[in-house]
Amino acid sequence: MSRFVLRLAWRESRGAWRHFGYFFACITLGVSALVGVGSFADSLERTVARSAKSLMGGDVEIRGTQPGDTAGSTPGSAGDRATVTRVRELVAMAQAGASLSQLVELKAVEPGYPLYGALVTDPDRPLDTMIGEGRALVHDSLLARLGLRVGDRFRVGRAELTVSGVIVKEPDRAIGVFSLGPRVLIAAADLDRTGLVRPGSRVRYRTLFRLPEDADATAFRDRLAASLPAAQRVRTYAQAQPGLRRFWDQLTMYLGLTGLVALMVGGIGVAVSVSAFMKEKLATIAIMKSLGAGWRPLLAAYLLQTALLGLGGSLAGALLGSLVQPLLAPILAQLLPIELQLSFSPRAVLAGVAMGVGVTLLSALWPLLQIRRVPPALILRHEVEPRLPGRRPWAAAAPIAGGLAALALWQAGSWKIGALFAGGLGGALLLLALGARGVIALARRVRWGAPAWKQGAANLHRPGSHAGPVLVSLGLAVMLVVSIALLERNLRSELVDSRPGRAPAFFFIDIQPDQAAPFAALVAGQGAEAPAALTPVVRSRLAAVNGAAPAPRGTARREDTWALTREYVLTWAAEPPGHNRLVAGRWWTAAEAAREPLISVEDEIAHELGVGLGDTLTFDIQGVPVTARITSLRHVDWRSLTSNFFVIFSPGALEGAPTTFIATVRARPEREGHLQSAVVAAFPNVTAIPVREVLERVTGVLDQIALAVRLMAAFSVGAGLIVMAGALAITRKQRLYQSVILKALGATRGFVSRVFAVEYALLGAAAGIAGGALAAALAWAVLRWAFDVPWQWAPGTLLAGVLAATGLALLVGVLGTRRLLGRRPLGVLRSE
Amino acid sequence: MISVRSLSMRLTSGGRAVDVLTDVSLEVPAGQFLAIAGPSGSGKSTLLGLIAGLDQPTGGRIEVAGVAVTDLDEDALARFRRDHVGYVFQSFHLIPTLTAQENVAVPLELAGQADAEARAGALLAEVGLADRAHHYPVQLSGGEQQRVAVARALARRPPLLLADEPTGNLDSATGKQIIDLLVGANRRLGSTLVLVTHDAALAAHADRVVTLRDGRIVSDE
Repeated sequence: MSRFVLRLAWRESRGAWRHFGYFFACITLGVSALVGVGSFADSLERTVARSAKSLMGGDVEIRGTQPGDTAGSTPGSAGDRATVTRVRELVAMAQAGASLSQLVELKAVEPGYPLYGALVTDPDRPLDTMIGEGRALVHDSLLARLGLRVGDRFRVGRAELTVSGVIVKEPDRAIGVFSLGPRVLIAAADLDRTGLVRPGSRVRYRTLFRLPEDADATAFRDRLAASLPAAQRVRTYAQAQPGLRRFWDQLTMYLGLTGLVALMVGGIGVAVSVSAFMKEKLATIAIMKSLGAGWRPLLAAYLLQTALLGLGGSLAGALLGSLVQPLLAPILAQLLPIELQLSFSPRAVLAGVAMGVGVTLLSALWPLLQIRRVPPALILRHEVEPRLPGRRPWAAAAPIAGGLAALALWQAGSWKIGALFAGGLGGALLLLALGARGVIALARRVRWGAPAWKQGAANLHRPGSHAGPVLVSLGLAVMLVVSIALLERNLRSELVDSRPGRAPAFFFIDIQPDQAAPFAALVAGQGAEAPAALTPVVRSRLAAVNGAAPAPRGTARREDTWALTREYVLTWAAEPPGHNRLVAGRWWTAAEAAREPLISVEDEIAHELGVGLGDTLTFDIQGVPVTARITSLRHVDWRSLTSNFFVIFSPGALEGAPTTFIATVRARPEREGHLQSAVVAAFPNVTAIPVREVLERVTGVLDQIALAVRLMAAFSVGAGLIVMAGALAITRKQRLYQSVILKALGATRGFVSRVFAVEYALLGAAAGIAGGALAAALAWAVLRWAFDVPWQWAPGTLLAGVLAATGLALLVGVLGTRRLLGRRPLGVLRSE
Repeated sequence: MISVRSLSMRLTSGGRAVDVLTDVSLEVPAGQFLAIAGPSGSGKSTLLGLIAGLDQPTGGRIEVAGVAVTDLDEDALARFRRDHVGYVFQSFHLIPTLTAQENVAVPLELAGQADAEARAGALLAEVGLADRAHHYPVQLSGGEQQRVAVARALARRPPLLLADEPTGNLDSATGKQIIDLLVGANRRLGSTLVLVTHDAALAAHADRVVTLRDGRIVSDE
């Protein structure tokens, strides 16, 4: 780089801060959003990695739904020296007295538990003195729900248990917020006394291994996995909590992309500032050119200057972002099973700064390319609005857009999501730019009645107006915020649907065959709104597809093998379920069903398994293979709160298989508690899942996520308002001039402030309407394709978006022009 | 019409106080055409601006048509200008975002007149710009812009016309058109006309010439 470039960049930076204050703020805000999310994600990843062994409960875990004999299959030398412990988990009902019952997550452990981490209890005593011989440790919320105290007794299944203490911290409990109920921890022997573990009950078996320090966990896992059926999942601690990790990876990715919108809005601010700066520098550039400077060193100098400003803004943003992390953490920490340790993340800071400088340079490049077209002869002319010869550098638009898209891909870390984001953002920018043109043209066309309206509207289409970029940046922020609000609203109304009779009050599971009839009778007598719908279920595994052992097609990613290795809950039915739609084949007649086992398969899983009509599937039901031919495919609406099945057998085909029943029961809210207690008292092994409570918990999770997303979206709004304030500052001189002429002609300060208010209110309203329309389109698309949830109009939300945008724009306008109003005209007019 | 008593104006410029006007007193009867002459920097434009209430003097008192201009607040001053004063500036000062006709309509609209645009069109026709009514200021020549400014100043038929070097930025032929328009209004409507100029030939047209130097009146003839 030549010394001329460096010197010019330095000289032109003196006094440029006045211009670039808003530019700086735009980048700072955007980068702080990114660094905040990035640091949080890193802290999370580090915390999870650090506590991976205790989260998993061991070095290696076998997890399954069958009591596989894992003790005999621990191979190799490491296995011999490994410490092993088994954990069984299931949901069950806890009862106290005659009238109180509560769904709990029951966990039965052997001596040796936990292999890693510590179970913290109150009182703090050794675990073997707290459980066993009918003693149970419980989560304190159970005490509150059942009105118990330490030392009191309660029942689980057939067992009578005594509360020996409270669980303060459990090392290997996954995601607290997604749990079904409070924890009850008992000894393995006591679980057998409950009588809850029977064929067909839903029990999770975990076998945990603690290996010697020098052992290779991965090799151990591979040997284990090779010796076990595919249904038994074997993982090392490094793969601990895959669901948790996936959830957080996705959440932080979306939060990061939300933050990136703020930075992109900031980029618009940079482009506006640099354009205005260029306008003032035209004479300087023309003089430089007439003195013999080429456009390349001039461009290099101004680019260097911009890059330095971008770097400064980004560093300030990194600092601010490190402060955002503790803001974001408490909102999301409630969703975390582990205590989050916040840490400074050099990676997030570096990535954020690189992103900030990248966006700055790309945004500034477009206006800076004008340097090429400035003719030296410009110094000979005095024009109000000099027109540069030649075409705008449209050829440069593609690489600029490509560069910004690459930054989006990098931030997303996924081709698909990154491309969707970049495409969506590009489309939104284009539509907003077109919309802005339309608004400006409209402001010119409309015959405004009141003089203040006429003047205010004229400011939108006046030469040198920044209405275009302001509309685009504000519209983008509005789009983001309103679409989040719309998504949240739609998802919430889907979860907490108030339509009567849609959601059942309870799912009852693990009803034994001999309990089915008395259960139905009891429920009918306890105020259920309709007869209980009892469905038989049989647990099984897929054993063969068309006679051959199921093998994954292509890559063996978890998502691909899931359909092969998962547990299949089967049922049988004479008639097709009313809420399923047959998409291929037809339902069996009684005669057909009597001839051979037939099945109806859900269409998506049939697609994943690669089967169609006429193919056969073989299921392993407690060691007994049952083969059946597919005669129909069904489409299932999984959102319907009823029991749904991937595979339905023809009646008679599953005769003799260990069967339990599940039931959905509708009841009025005030009858629910009573009904649950009556069922649990009569059938201690039956588990009641209160649907309302579960939905409320999911809504709670949604609330936390929404809060975090809104926090990130607020950065975009902030950036949009800064762009607006920056545009206001750039046009300050014109505004002052306009206001003093109006005053000289007899306009009061009230009139002048109305003119500016009209201009800004129009800008805000237009951005609100355009952003709202795009938000509706975006939310509709996301609901349709990502959530498969029907779209509901929310006119209130859209209106609130328009009003808020108008109000905020008005506020910025009033604050920005307030000081102009007091200026006396004479001095201003004489200096013009 | 105008009564100026012991007017003084001190401005601070670059940290130094400058006395722009010192103890200026002046009576202008209604209907008079007064020229204020003097070299540049003598304070003549400031005097004109103060008469219109475009700034507050440091000392002294101004009354226009019986109204104590120096006692009014900003908004009252604005309304006073709207109803009593037509002002023509050396550098035109049209509102760049409005067409010629809309510029002329502004004072009428501010006064709440219903047919403002139509009246503005007629006024433009009077200054010979009927065909330029829908052009923006940047699309007009200097002379045309100043004719629009004169039409705007005359729009409310104000009893007081103030013109600050109205021909300073124009060639002599165009300048003459402007002076004819202003003097015509003075004769036809009986408006008092105060014209600031350093052009002796132009000042010679006036009923009376007051000359300022260093902020003081040095001659009144």
